[in-house]
Amino acid sequence: MMINPVLLIAIPLGLAFIAVVFKKLQGWILAIGVAANAFLVFFVEKGETAIGGFKLPFAISLVLDDFSFIGVILVNVLTLAAVAVAFRKTEKYVPVILAGLAGLNGMVLTGDMFNLFVFMEITAISAYILSSEGRKPEQSFNYLVIGSIGSVLYLLGLILIYGQTGTLNMSLMAEKSALIGQAAMVLPLVLIFAGIAVEAKLLPMSGWVRGVLGNSNALTGVMFASVYSSAALMVFGRVFSQVLIPGTTAGVIIIVIALLTFAAGQVSAFRSKSLRQVLLYSSIAQSGLAAALFATGFVFPAVLVIINNAAGKMIMFSTAGNLEEKYGTDDYVGLGGAFVRNMPAGVAFTIAALSLTGLPLVFGFYAKLNVLAAYLNQGTFFVPAVVLAGTIIEGAYFIRILIKLWAPGKEGEWADADQSVGEKKIFNPAGTVVVILVTLLIILSGFLPDSVGKLVAPGGGLLGDEGPSISMTMEKGGDQ
Amino acid sequence: MIKFASLLLIIIGLYGILSTRNVIKILVGINVMEIGINVFIIAMGFVNDGAAPILSVDNPVNVLKFVDPVAQALVLTSIVIGLGITALGLVFARKIHKKYGTYDLSETGGES
Amino acid sequence: MNLNLVIIVSVAFAIAAYLVSKVNDKAGAFMTVAGSMFALVTVFLLRNSIGSEISFLYFNFNLTVTGWYFSLVMLTAYSMTAFFNPFWMKKLIYPAGYNFLYLLSMAGTLGVFFAKDFITLFVFWETVVWSSAFIIQMGKSRQAAYVYYVISAIGSMATLFAIMFAYGTTGTFVINEAFKGLAGYPGRAIVIFITFIAAGMAKIGIFPFHVWLPSAHGSAPHTFSPVLSGGLVKMGAFVALLSVTAFPAYEIFKDMASFRGIPLPIYFMMALGAISIVAGTLMAIKQEDAKKLLAYSSVANGGYILIGLLMLDQVGFAGGMMHIVNHAVASAAAFLSIAAVAYRTGTTKMSEMGGMIHRMPVTYLVYLIAIISMAGIPPMGGFVSKWLIFQGLADKGLIFLATTAFFGSIGSFLYVFRPLSAVFLGQTFTRDLEKKEVGFFMMFPMLILTLLSLLTGVFPNIFLRVVVEIQSAFGMLPVTLAENTIVTSNGFLDAFRVFIVFGFGFAIAFVLFVIRRKSRKVELMDTFTSAEFIHTRELLHYSHSFYAPFERLYEKAPDTMKLYHKAAVKINELGNMAESAFFGIRPARTVLLVMGMVLIVIIAGGVL
Repeated sequence: MMINPVLLIAIPLGLAFIAVVFKKLQGWILAIGVAANAFLVFFVEKGETAIGGFKLPFAISLVLDDFSFIGVILVNVLTLAAVAVAFRKTEKYVPVILAGLAGLNGMVLTGDMFNLFVFMEITAISAYILSSEGRKPEQSFNYLVIGSIGSVLYLLGLILIYGQTGTLNMSLMAEKSALIGQAAMVLPLVLIFAGIAVEAKLLPMSGWVRGVLGNSNALTGVMFASVYSSAALMVFGRVFSQVLIPGTTAGVIIIVIALLTFAAGQVSAFRSKSLRQVLLYSSIAQSGLAAALFATGFVFPAVLVIINNAAGKMIMFSTAGNLEEKYGTDDYVGLGGAFVRNMPAGVAFTIAALSLTGLPLVFGFYAKLNVLAAYLNQGTFFVPAVVLAGTIIEGAYFIRILIKLWAPGKEGEWADADQSVGEKKIFNPAGTVVVILVTLLIILSGFLPDSVGKLVAPGGGLLGDEGPSISMTMEKGGDQ
Repeated sequence: MIKFASLLLIIIGLYGILSTRNVIKILVGINVMEIGINVFIIAMGFVNDGAAPILSVDNPVNVLKFVDPVAQALVLTSIVIGLGITALGLVFARKIHKKYGTYDLSETGGES
Repeated sequence: MNLNLVIIVSVAFAIAAYLVSKVNDKAGAFMTVAGSMFALVTVFLLRNSIGSEISFLYFNFNLTVTGWYFSLVMLTAYSMTAFFNPFWMKKLIYPAGYNFLYLLSMAGTLGVFFAKDFITLFVFWETVVWSSAFIIQMGKSRQAAYVYYVISAIGSMATLFAIMFAYGTTGTFVINEAFKGLAGYPGRAIVIFITFIAAGMAKIGIFPFHVWLPSAHGSAPHTFSPVLSGGLVKMGAFVALLSVTAFPAYEIFKDMASFRGIPLPIYFMMALGAISIVAGTLMAIKQEDAKKLLAYSSVANGGYILIGLLMLDQVGFAGGMMHIVNHAVASAAAFLSIAAVAYRTGTTKMSEMGGMIHRMPVTYLVYLIAIISMAGIPPMGGFVSKWLIFQGLADKGLIFLATTAFFGSIGSFLYVFRPLSAVFLGQTFTRDLEKKEVGFFMMFPMLILTLLSLLTGVFPNIFLRVVVEIQSAFGMLPVTLAENTIVTSNGFLDAFRVFIVFGFGFAIAFVLFVIRRKSRKVELMDTFTSAEFIHTRELLHYSHSFYAPFERLYEKAPDTMKLYHKAAVKINELGNMAESAFFGIRPARTVLLVMGMVLIVIIAGGVL
C-alpha cells in the first residue's frame, strides 16, 4: 500500500501539537512519531501530489521523485537515529523536534518555491530553539539574525524571479527561467543562494555554525550536522541543479564560493583544537564540496557526498557531544585515550573518520572516487586538485584526533592504557547499538558500493546526470 | 517608486543590524528589513489601476487588470513567519538579559 | 588455492587472531605466525598459476611474475617478524588490535601486488597505509604515526589523482591499459607520471618524502619496524616499477629531452633517488638510536632500488629487483636483531648498551651478516645487487648517479658498523651481565633471514632467474646468466667463487682467533679518571659522538622536516585567517560579507 507524501509532514506536525497538550506522554509521542516517519518513508507514493484543492501548476505540490526520495530517507532515518542515540536529551524539545521534522520533510518534498520558504522557516525556527540547548543565548540570537537575513534575501531573490517567470511552481519555473537571459538571473540566483546557504552552512552565511555546533550536545549536534544540513543540501541541489540552473556567471560565482567554503572549512578544521570545532568545520567543508558539485551539475556524486557526510557526522557528533558531557572538555588533547575502554564507540568513530576522509574499504571512498571522476572525465583538473589537497588536510586532522583518542602515552614511551583520561562509557546501550548499525552500514556499503550506487543513481540520473559516473566493477569501467 | 523605497527599507534594516550591538535594536532592524521585503513583494504584484482580485458586482469575471493575488498571499504568510521570528528573537533577548543583565552584546563578554 | 582465497583467508586469519587475542593475546599472536606462514606457503605454491585472473566484489586480481616475486618478499618479512609477536604482547596497548591490523595490512599488501586494476591497487594500498598507521601509534611516538600517515597521504592522493586523470583520458582502470593511451597527450603524461610515482616515492622514502622513515621505523613497535623497513617500503618499489612498465614512461617520453638516453622526467626521479642515497647515508651516520640509524639506511637503500628499477635496462634493473630481496631480508634481520637486543635490555639507544656479543652471540652473528649484506660487501646478497646497479650505471655513463651510489656504499661502512661495535662489542654493562640469548622461537626467524642473505649472495642466480622472467614479461632484454655466474658487458661475477675466497679468509681468521684467545676483559668504569668520579657512564661509551668531527662538516644541512612543519604552520595561519574572516561569531560580519558578495555579483554581472 502506498501512502500520500503529505502524511510525512502531517504526522509529525500533528503529533507536535498533541505533544504540547499531553506533556506527560511526550516521550512516547516523539518515539512513535519519529519511528512512524522513518518507517512510512519507504512506502510513500511517488509522483507529484497537489494539495489544497487547486489544479497543478497553480496548487502547492509535493514532489516525491527519486531525488527527494533520497532526501526524505536521509531526513527521517537520521532523525530516528539522532533521537535514539540521545533520547534522554529530547525531553524539553519534543514538539520542536517533531515540528522540525515536519519542516524538513516539507523542505525536501515541496514543489513550490514559496512553500519551500515556509518550510525552511519552520525548520529554522525549530533549529533556533534547539540551538538554545547550548545555553549560549547570544549564539542562538546570532543564529536567528543570520537566518532572518538569509530568509529576507531568499524572498527578495524569489520575488525577482517570480516577477520574470510569473510562477512559483518549481517545474514551471524551471521551464520559464530557461528562457530568460542569463544576466537577469545572476542577482536573484545569488540572493537565493544566500538564503539557502544559512542552513547548508555555506559561506557567507556560516557565521552561526561555530557558536551553535561548537556548543552542541549529542542530540543537537547530530540534528544540525547531519539532519538539517543534509536536507538543506538536498534543497540546494533541487534548486540549483533542477529549477534554476545557473548560467556561466552565476555558476562561476556559486562554484567559487562553494570551493572557498570547502577550503576555508578544511584549513579552519586543521587549526582547531576542540573536537566539535574540528567536526563542524569539516561539515562546512563537506557542504562546500556538495554545493560545488551541485552547481556544476554533478548531482550523483553530490548526493553521495551528502550521504557520506550525514552518516559520518551522525556518529562523530554524537560521540563528541557525549565526550564533552562525560569529561567536561572536548579539547582532544585533553581526551587522550578516551577510546581505550570504549571499543565500539572508538571503532565507529574511526570508521566514520575514514569514510569522511574518503579512504577505501568504507563508503567514503566511493563518494570521493565519483567526485574526482566527475570532474576529471570532464577535463577539469583544478577542482580535483583542490579536493585532494583538502583530503590530505582532512586526513591529517582526523588522524591526529584518532591517534590522540586511541593511543595515550608520552612521546618516547609506548602507548599505555593507564595514561588514558578515564573509563567512562561514551554511549548508553541504545546509543551503542545505533552507532554500530550506522557503522556497519558504512562498512557494508563500502564493500558493495555499486549496489548503493544503483539506489542513488536514479536520484542523480533524474537530474540529467548519467547515473554512476564511475563503476567500481571493471566490466563497466572497461567498456567506456 | 515604491519598489525603490522598499529596497531602501531593506538596506536601512541591514544597516541597523550592522550598526548596533543592542539585541532589541537588532530585532527592530530585522523587522524593518522584513517590512521592506513585504512592501517589495506587494509592489511587484501591483498593477496600475488594477482591481482587487475578488470577484464581485464591481468586478465581473472578465476584468483583466487584477492586482496579482499571489503576491498578497505570500505577504500574509511572510508576515506571520516574521512575527514568529520576532517573538523567538525576543525570547532570546530575554535570555541574554537574564544571563548577562544587559541587552548589549558588546557587554556580554563574547561567549563562544 | 587461488588468488582471492589467499587474501580472504588472510583476512579471516586476521579476524580470528583478533577474537583469539581477546581471550589470550599470546595465542592470538601465534595466529599471526600461522596466518603469515600460511600466506607465504600458499603464495609460493601459486608459482604455477601465474597469469590466472579472478574477481571478487569489485576487486580484480591477476597474478604476474612481478606480483609473485614482490609478494614473496613481503610475506617473508611478515612471516619471519611474526615469530617475534608473541613476546611483545605485554608491551602493546591493544594486543588484539595489533594482531588484527598486522594480518590485515599483510592481506592488503597482497591485494596491491595482485591487483589487476588501479582501483583494486589503490583500495588495498590505502588499507595498508591506515592499518599500519594504527599499528605505529602503539609504539613509542604518536607524532611518528601522524607524520607517517600525512606523508603517505600526500603520496597516495597524488597517485589517486594520476589514476583518475588517466581514467578521464583513456577511460579504463586496467593497469596494463590505463596508461597506454597517454602517448597522445604529452602534457598530461608528465603530470600523470609525476603524480603517479609520488605514492611509491613516499613509501620508499625518497627525498623529500623520507622524513617519515626515521620516526616511524624508529618508534614503531619493535615487531613492526622489520615489516615496515623490510616489507612495506617495497610496496613503494612496486609502484615505482609500475611507473616505468605499466606507464611506459620510456616510450611516452621518448621524444622529450633526455640525458644519456634517459628522458628528463625519469632522470629527475633517479636524481631524487641519488639525493636520498646521500641524505640517508649522512643522516644515518649521525644517529644515536640503532633503529633510527637503520631507518636512514633504508632511505639510502630505497634510493638504490629506485635508481635500479627506473633504469629499466638489462643489468641495472636486475640489480634493483635483486636489491629488493636483499634489502628486505637484511633490514628485516637487522631490525629483528635489534628487537631481540631490546627484548633483553629494554632500550635501542646505542650508548646504553655494549658487549652484547658475550650475552647474545647468535643475535650478534645475525646482525653482522645483515649489515655485511646492507653495506654491499661480499659474500652477501647486497654485494651482488649493488654490483649489478653499478654495472648498469657505468654502462650508461650516468656519472652523477654512479658517484652518489659509490658515496652511499662507502658511507654505509661508516654507519652499519657503529651499532655493531656499540651494541655488540666493547664492554658489557654491569646490568646486562645477567641477560641471556633469546629463545629459539625468536632465533629461528633471524637464522632463516641470515641464511637467505647468504643464499642470495652465494647463489644469486636462483633469484635472478625470476628476475629474468620479469624482464622478459616486460619485454626487456634479460640479464645474461650462465651456470652460477652473472655476465655483463664489463665482466662477470661468480658469486660462489667469491664466497669460497671469503670463506677461506674467514676460516684463517677464525683459526687465529681460537689459537690466540688471550684478552683480559675490563669493566667500562675500570679506568683511570684523574681522581674524579664519573657518573654518566654513557659519556665514556666509545660510540658516544663517534663521528663528531665528520658530522660537524654537515651539521648545518637543512632539515626537510622543517619544510613540513612550515607548511603545517602556514595551513594553521590560513585557518586562523579563514576562521576570523568567515566564521566570526558576530552577525555584523555576515552582513558585510553578504553585501560584499552582492557587490561583486553586480560588478561581475556588468563585466561578464
